[in-house]
Amino acid sequence: MSDRHLRPLSALAGVASPGRFGKTSGEPGVTIQERSGLGLATVAARRGQAAALKQAVANGYGVELPDSSRVAHGSTVSFIGYGPGQWLAVSETLGNHTLARDLAERLKGLASISDQSGGRTVLRISGPRAGDVLAKGLPIDLDPRGFPLGSAATSTISLMGVQLWQTGDPQSYDIAIFRSVSQSFWRWLTASAAEYGYEVTPS
Amino acid sequence: MSSQPNRLAKGGMIDRSKLVRFTFDGEPLTGFQGDTLASALLANGMSLVGRSFKYHRPRGILTAGSEEPNALVELRSGARREPNTRATTIELYDGLAAASQNCWPSLRLDLLAANQIFSPIFGAGFYYKTFMWPAAFWEKLYEPAIRRAAGLGRAAEAPDPDHYEKTNAFCDVLVIGGGPAGLSAALAATRSGARVILCEEDFRLGGRLLAERYEIDGRPATDWVEAAEAELESLANCRILRRTTVQGVYDGGTYAAIERVNDHVAKPPAHEPRQRLWRIVAKRAVLAAGAIERPIVFGNNDRPGVMLAGAVRAYVNRYGVTPGRRAVIFADNDDAFRTAEDLAQAGVTVAALIDARKSASPRAQAAAETAQARYLSGATIQQVRGGHGVRGIVVGDASGNTERFACDLVAVSGGWNPTVNLTTHLNGKPQWSDALSALVPGTLPPRMSVAGAASGSFGLGAFLAEGHDAGLAAAAECGFTAKVRGTPAVADDAGATPSPLWQVANSRGKAFVDFQNDVTVSDVKLAAREGFRIPEHLKRYTTLGMATDQGKTSNANGAAVLANVTGRYVGAVGTTTFRPPYTPIAISAFAGHHRGQDFRPARLAPSHAWAEEQGAVFVETGPWLRALYYPKRGEEPQDAVNREVANVRKAVGVCDVSTLGKIDVQGRDAGTFLDRVYANTFSALPVGKARYGLMLREDGFVLDDGTTARLAEDHYFMTTTTANAVKVMQHLEFAQQCLWPELDVELVSVTEQWAQYAVAGPRARDVLQAVVDPAYDLSNAAFPYLACGDVTVCGGTPGRLYRLSFSGELAYEVAVPARYGDSLVRAIMQAGAAYGIAPYGTEALGVLRIEKGHPAGGELNGQTTAHDLGFGKMLSAKKDFIGRFMAGRPALTDPERPSLVGLRPLDRGERIRAGAHLIPKDAEAVAGNDLGYVTSIAFSPSLNHWLGLGLLVRGPERHGEILRAYDPVRGGDVLVEVRPPCFIDPEGERLRV
Repeated sequence: MSDRHLRPLSALAGVASPGRFGKTSGEPGVTIQERSGLGLATVAARRGQAAALKQAVANGYGVELPDSSRVAHGSTVSFIGYGPGQWLAVSETLGNHTLARDLAERLKGLASISDQSGGRTVLRISGPRAGDVLAKGLPIDLDPRGFPLGSAATSTISLMGVQLWQTGDPQSYDIAIFRSVSQSFWRWLTASAAEYGYEVTPS
Repeated sequence: MSSQPNRLAKGGMIDRSKLVRFTFDGEPLTGFQGDTLASALLANGMSLVGRSFKYHRPRGILTAGSEEPNALVELRSGARREPNTRATTIELYDGLAAASQNCWPSLRLDLLAANQIFSPIFGAGFYYKTFMWPAAFWEKLYEPAIRRAAGLGRAAEAPDPDHYEKTNAFCDVLVIGGGPAGLSAALAATRSGARVILCEEDFRLGGRLLAERYEIDGRPATDWVEAAEAELESLANCRILRRTTVQGVYDGGTYAAIERVNDHVAKPPAHEPRQRLWRIVAKRAVLAAGAIERPIVFGNNDRPGVMLAGAVRAYVNRYGVTPGRRAVIFADNDDAFRTAEDLAQAGVTVAALIDARKSASPRAQAAAETAQARYLSGATIQQVRGGHGVRGIVVGDASGNTERFACDLVAVSGGWNPTVNLTTHLNGKPQWSDALSALVPGTLPPRMSVAGAASGSFGLGAFLAEGHDAGLAAAAECGFTAKVRGTPAVADDAGATPSPLWQVANSRGKAFVDFQNDVTVSDVKLAAREGFRIPEHLKRYTTLGMATDQGKTSNANGAAVLANVTGRYVGAVGTTTFRPPYTPIAISAFAGHHRGQDFRPARLAPSHAWAEEQGAVFVETGPWLRALYYPKRGEEPQDAVNREVANVRKAVGVCDVSTLGKIDVQGRDAGTFLDRVYANTFSALPVGKARYGLMLREDGFVLDDGTTARLAEDHYFMTTTTANAVKVMQHLEFAQQCLWPELDVELVSVTEQWAQYAVAGPRARDVLQAVVDPAYDLSNAAFPYLACGDVTVCGGTPGRLYRLSFSGELAYEVAVPARYGDSLVRAIMQAGAAYGIAPYGTEALGVLRIEKGHPAGGELNGQTTAHDLGFGKMLSAKKDFIGRFMAGRPALTDPERPSLVGLRPLDRGERIRAGAHLIPKDAEAVAGNDLGYVTSIAFSPSLNHWLGLGLLVRGPERHGEILRAYDPVRGGDVLVEVRPPCFIDPEGERLRV
């Protein structure tokens, strides 16, 4: 059976191809990149274990779990608060399902972990018009006064649930969407970005 | 090509170096950049632009703004044709094509103008009176005839080729209106440091300052506008939205606005939207919407050439166009008589100033002197002469003398009405002001202030000062208190009209109150006689204030005429309610991105592309697209389904079940939690086992069913039906957060994480053994029915295996992270090729479960109990659970309740229809004999006949009885035999091999 290893397939396969699209003159207003191969997992604190969980995450990943809708970037894992005692953990270095395994080992008894590495498409949307593109769907204020660096949000775009967090660059956002709606989301995103010109970069 | 005969030699904010070509009713014409269609038509001497709605009277241009009731045209052609577009708001662009509407065969010769002769029967309420009976005639005869005669323009028949979008914006201070007050407010708020959005309906900022010859700081006011605009543009905390109308006010400081991004070009540039619907959330708003001038009601006041005085000034000063060659001005206020000075300055002859006020006004007299025109005070226009245009007027004075004047332009003003519309959208009531004889804002929406003419103040100095103060205060309320400059000095020119003339008594000819709806003084009188004495009733009976302009130029006069004929004080008559939108909005703007395939998001399973390659026909299951069946080339749908079912029963099939809801239930108390939400017990389920679970609603009816597997002591994996996934998750979260917050249980949806495939049929194990890595023993002894556990597949990919069967055959469900789903299904197909594997869709899935008698959508319909479905034994008596108590209600345990049975046609060749009602064999087909109905049907390829499931009174007691399945809708009437629901392998031996 080892001759038939399963190959991962992006939910945007055949839809999102690298290149320059929309308005072609000038610099692209937006750059879109799929972040594939990420480790993604939900972390839910066990009852009564919030403090111990915070300590374990600090020890294990060198990062303080945020108490609100914010993102805390550690050197290997970022944690995005999306509800009381609930976080989405994201990692490049602990890719795919390895993140969930790592979390489950380190946080045993303190948190319930669910692998979500297959269940989300994560897009990095950046560039001078990134905020204008997102405003066409996102009903929240992305102005630095209302959404300072380190902010995160759980919201909807064009009738689709999204999780969004800042990457560390004020003009750059990561958006996690449910895998099944990736193509519908892509259609919204590209329709909204077209007037500014957008570049799709390889994942 | 026309030479624009009415274009003034100089002046105006048009670019005379940029000639713009356009057509009206096919006639080629020219205008200049900066023109509206209205100003360009007037420049070309075309004062007749349309026909009225009911009487098909010739109509011209009344206003220079979005309040226009008359000059409605069809703009563009083909798929982009827009009916009822106001010529006064259409920016002229090269190649523009517009056409008049409501006329046949042509604008000048409109045969339906004969309606005027029959006007006595077209009076108020004529629809209600004339076409009452016979009722059958309404739909077939009256309504189509009325629509043909009375309809406004024609909508496009092809889909709109342009795209529309929605967007969100947030600010501290929203300024509505870019006239003197709005600009002043925006400057003050922006300079304070607040985030400001300034919305202006026009394509150019300035409001009335563009239409008047005002000065600010000793220079033309337009210089001040340009400086203000430049400053606002330069400040990062101000966003200016031109061509943007704020249409509605909603809760929480939310405003809707329409930006006409590309209405001013023939076709939007590539990738740009045509219009954008803005949702603006503002901490504070300053309404600086200005005011709308009122006409006066007198005989033939609708003739082309009768125009509001303020509009005349706008055409002369802003567009460098004179709407006529010889003008009279008829007004009751000094503001309007300034029009004489502007016309004279532009070289247009002014014949007379007709002042309705009894005592002569020095200001108006001065204007008459400047214009070298006659000045008549205490006089009114009794009648306008002329048909397709004004030829003259008949003036009467207080002593009964009449005098005729030749003219082709009548500039009219009865004063100004503050534009209070947006203040009333959250149920604010405007108040009558005796000082102004107009409605002014009353209670305001929260966190809104009003400045300038919209607040009822008049005079440029007041506009600038009020705007400044309102902008400053709004910014301060948001915490911005920087010191800013004051407002510039101006000479005030008061414009209030304390005692207006609403209508000319005893005038001759039709005197129109509402131009767009052809409502005359006699209609209002008739309505009042018939008891419609308040504006809301008057509106419904006469249509006064309806349609595209919503009475912007007619409501006030309508109320005044109503007051007059009912002998009441005008301030006590009241008004109708203004609701959003302020101006008409294209449906496309509301749809935005959500049209066609983007009407709503579609959810695609991980192997969607693979299913497409297999030629699957898809069906919408909620938002999911699922494969319905996989027809081979030339295969009929029913044959494909029969083949897929037979293949599962005889060999092996694979079905994508990724769309089922999947929920991780974790925590020390997960078992306790499941015991409470399921009717049956889960805490005793061993690790490595799955169980069918039944979930009830609080009211005792069945909510959903599915299997839940125990993966670890503190980890269960629940599945729900595809349709109820969201509902079940909400139900569980409510229970977790509100009912038993003390339990340690964590819930998270993992529906999207797992691609899951059912592999079913006698050869299922053979296929799975080739897919699951050899370390895992799949023998019946090692992995029996209802076993579950972690596995690796295809050489190390982590996955899960469940031995579950919905088909009644030996079956497994195998799951991998969704990104591997496509690859896994291909591996299964490859592994199964040797065993004759074929994919099966939801249709075959349905047939398989009906053959097995498993309830699904048709039976889990929210009205059935566990007992109804034959699951009574699953209701645990040893524990409490949601729905237990209410499921014990007498009505829910009544033995007469219809319960689940199987049905097969007595004549096996006949077809049973879903929805057919079950009645005794020889009974009459009446409701009193109804015993239940057929919930699901299928053609069973295994049994080679149709069969069904149904809900039948005392069902289980009737096994063997013959009943009639009666379906009056589709003409079905067949005899059926009642059977136990399970038709195939009732002992369940196949799934345990």
